[in-house]
Amino acid sequence: MLFSSITFLYYFLPCTGILYFAVPKRGRNMVLLAASLVFYGWGEPRFLIFMILAILGGYLSGRLIGACGQNRKAARAVLAVFSVLCLGMLAVCKYAGFLIENFNRITGLSVPLLRIALPIGISFYTFQILSYVIDVYRNTVPVQNSLISLGTYISMFPQLIAGPIVRYADLAQELEKRTCSFEEAAAGIRHFAAGLSKKVLLANTLGELAEFCRGSAGPTVLSAWIYAAAFTLQIYFDFSGYSDMAIGLGRIFGFHFRENFRYPYTASSMTDFWRRWHISLGTWFRDYLYIPLGGSRVPKARWIFNLLVVWAATGLWHGAAWNFVLWGLFYAALLAAEKLWLGKILEKRKIAAHIYVILAAVLGFVLFNAVSLAEAADTFRAMFGLAGLPGAGADSLYALRSYGPLLLTAALGATPLPARLWARLSVGRTGKMVCAAAEPAAAALLLLVCTAFLVDGSFNPFLYFRF
Amino acid sequence: MRRETCKETEKRERGKAVLTIILSAGLILGLAVYGLLLPDQEVSRWERRRLASAPELNGDTLLSGSFMSGMEMYLQDQFPFRDGLRSLKALVSCGLFRQKDSHGVYTAGGYAAKLDYPLDTDSVDYAAERFACVYGQYLEESGSEIYVSVIPDKNQFLAEKNGYPCLDFGALTERLTEQMPYASYIEIAPLLELEDYYRTDIHWRQEKITGVAAAMNRAMGFGDGPEEGWQERRLPAPFYGVYRGQSALPMPAESMVWLETEGMENWTVYDYETDSEIPVYDLEAAEGMDPYALFLSGSKSLLRIENPAAPEENRLILFRDSFGSSIAPLLAEHVRELILADIRYISPALLGELISFEGRDVLFLYSESVLNNSETLK
Repeated sequence: MLFSSITFLYYFLPCTGILYFAVPKRGRNMVLLAASLVFYGWGEPRFLIFMILAILGGYLSGRLIGACGQNRKAARAVLAVFSVLCLGMLAVCKYAGFLIENFNRITGLSVPLLRIALPIGISFYTFQILSYVIDVYRNTVPVQNSLISLGTYISMFPQLIAGPIVRYADLAQELEKRTCSFEEAAAGIRHFAAGLSKKVLLANTLGELAEFCRGSAGPTVLSAWIYAAAFTLQIYFDFSGYSDMAIGLGRIFGFHFRENFRYPYTASSMTDFWRRWHISLGTWFRDYLYIPLGGSRVPKARWIFNLLVVWAATGLWHGAAWNFVLWGLFYAALLAAEKLWLGKILEKRKIAAHIYVILAAVLGFVLFNAVSLAEAADTFRAMFGLAGLPGAGADSLYALRSYGPLLLTAALGATPLPARLWARLSVGRTGKMVCAAAEPAAAALLLLVCTAFLVDGSFNPFLYFRF
Repeated sequence: MRRETCKETEKRERGKAVLTIILSAGLILGLAVYGLLLPDQEVSRWERRRLASAPELNGDTLLSGSFMSGMEMYLQDQFPFRDGLRSLKALVSCGLFRQKDSHGVYTAGGYAAKLDYPLDTDSVDYAAERFACVYGQYLEESGSEIYVSVIPDKNQFLAEKNGYPCLDFGALTERLTEQMPYASYIEIAPLLELEDYYRTDIHWRQEKITGVAAAMNRAMGFGDGPEEGWQERRLPAPFYGVYRGQSALPMPAESMVWLETEGMENWTVYDYETDSEIPVYDLEAAEGMDPYALFLSGSKSLLRIENPAAPEENRLILFRDSFGSSIAPLLAEHVRELILADIRYISPALLGELISFEGRDVLFLYSESVLNNSETLK
């Protein structure tokens, strides 16, 4: 089920909310778990089994590791077995086709491809379960003895299918005891409405523009750049919108998820960018892969190797295709360059640094969104005038005229300017009073306008569903 | 200025929170409950389509997920205030985001038109190939005089001067006529102007195309008509064209007008599909989803209009789209037998079993829009 659907917004969410607040506190995890299973099964009933298996596996592994006590060898064995099973399930579902395809390409054999549909959200919940079991093994979190509580954590519908990747340690306390208040619920509603607007009003419309330019019958240099810019903004508003909705829903139900985006397009370097983009994924890879590999406190050659491994894995996490691997390695190269020499130059040239970040993000996302490496190469050639295309045409000029104001709105919306402006308006007694009245009305108005877009629109899956 | 106390801040925050919950939850719950209470609508007159109905719930539909996808469509289609919300969306897109079209429909100078560009040469070639198929099968040996004419879209008069892209009409007609060396081209574009089209619809206005009909009659040797004496009649109900519903942009209503002449009551219109007679102007059909169905009952694959007062030798087969329905009565004034074939709904291969091409002239009359999107031609 999509957050940006009438079914979710007008039927699933109110029913879940009413049930959740109607039952005694001790029954609320059960309500959330049941609702989450319905939420997941609504889109993919047959894939429920994968999630249920993952929950049971995580629960048993946690209990077993707990039972091992001081026997680290046994605990390590349990962790190893669970990790292999968990990552194996992910590998079979997500990477088997990719591996066989490349094996066939190298060997010339024709091993039949496994046609396995990818269960939605599998990358997200697999990483959440892994983080729980690893943290239990590391003794940084206690074993969860309640299957309902662990199931609630793993399957919690607000962040189930497109993140953020919530650590068990961050929710452990709130799974047992949390407080719900009017203020928290209202803040959650505002956060949700903002996220829904990002997705429905901005990301979807930018997506229309990106597809329009991508499929243009008269491609030009301008249409290639509009496509790249539109997709770069679309993916930000799509994914950060989803994260905002997840955070907002969490707050309504008494949970606090960490922010997943902090205005990444205002970063001053790619190192900074990755501290602001999909923060929960970046920190996951840092804590569970980069640091165990030795991090940066190793000889330079080893550090570069670590970097390449982490970023190739980050790329592969997003999809089983070479363009994702290259996308990850592209950033690995930039991060290495920044650490070695580029970073110092960027520090001195702020404007150039911002241009560099935007350009790197745009080029990266063109590669990311390409169906094949050949398509990515074609787009790059078109962008830099190497494809023999005209500078502009009727299509691209019309697209620019028609969507220019939206592109500008989106570009400004990707910066802290709107929030700063709001903060400035809220200064003083009168400002606070006005804003106190305007915020509830704005939230309801945004919900209404989003509803209008949803009623008018067709099916709009989130970009991050495929990961 | 007095500083706000903690208690006041707390009170204000609590008030804001309660108001947020009341407004947002009220909106969601109110619309959800109202949606459940409303009876289901079968069709949307604005969108001119059937709306989704409630999906069947059983084990198979549940496991396959078709119940869920059906339910998503059903709830979206049957949402309360659907038309008003679609208009709100169009106003936000075009007003706030300054988008220049809504679902590809734009308005300029009080007229709505749909973006249709660039020229799809493959589509024009396909149409020419379908016409060549008719020619090869029935006309090569028939001795028929063959004509072709293309109706320009409203865009040709509206787009460029208002900054919208538009396909090259000259290139389209040139490409088509080059592939139809067997047909004489009747040029009608110079006889048309923007006012000859409905403001909210794709079609031309019958009362404005008597000049076009006269030019065609002359070119085909059927005389100089339409004669004097055609009377305008007006549909009592307001008319909103297809672009009103597609774009959901607010547009004022129009009047639909048709022309009648004396002697028309002696004409007969035979519908091959239903083996029955139908009226030239179908007032009942005009009350349906597409009021333009007033003219010869709308989408019909094969019709025959007989005018006993017209000269015996004037016989014409008109290959046409919906634009042809409104000009046909004006042509029929001088034609003893006018057959209208719409090869979007009947395969040309079947025509030979139903009609004879001997001694009949043939006119291929198609709109720019159908030629540039010709995949529907059989």
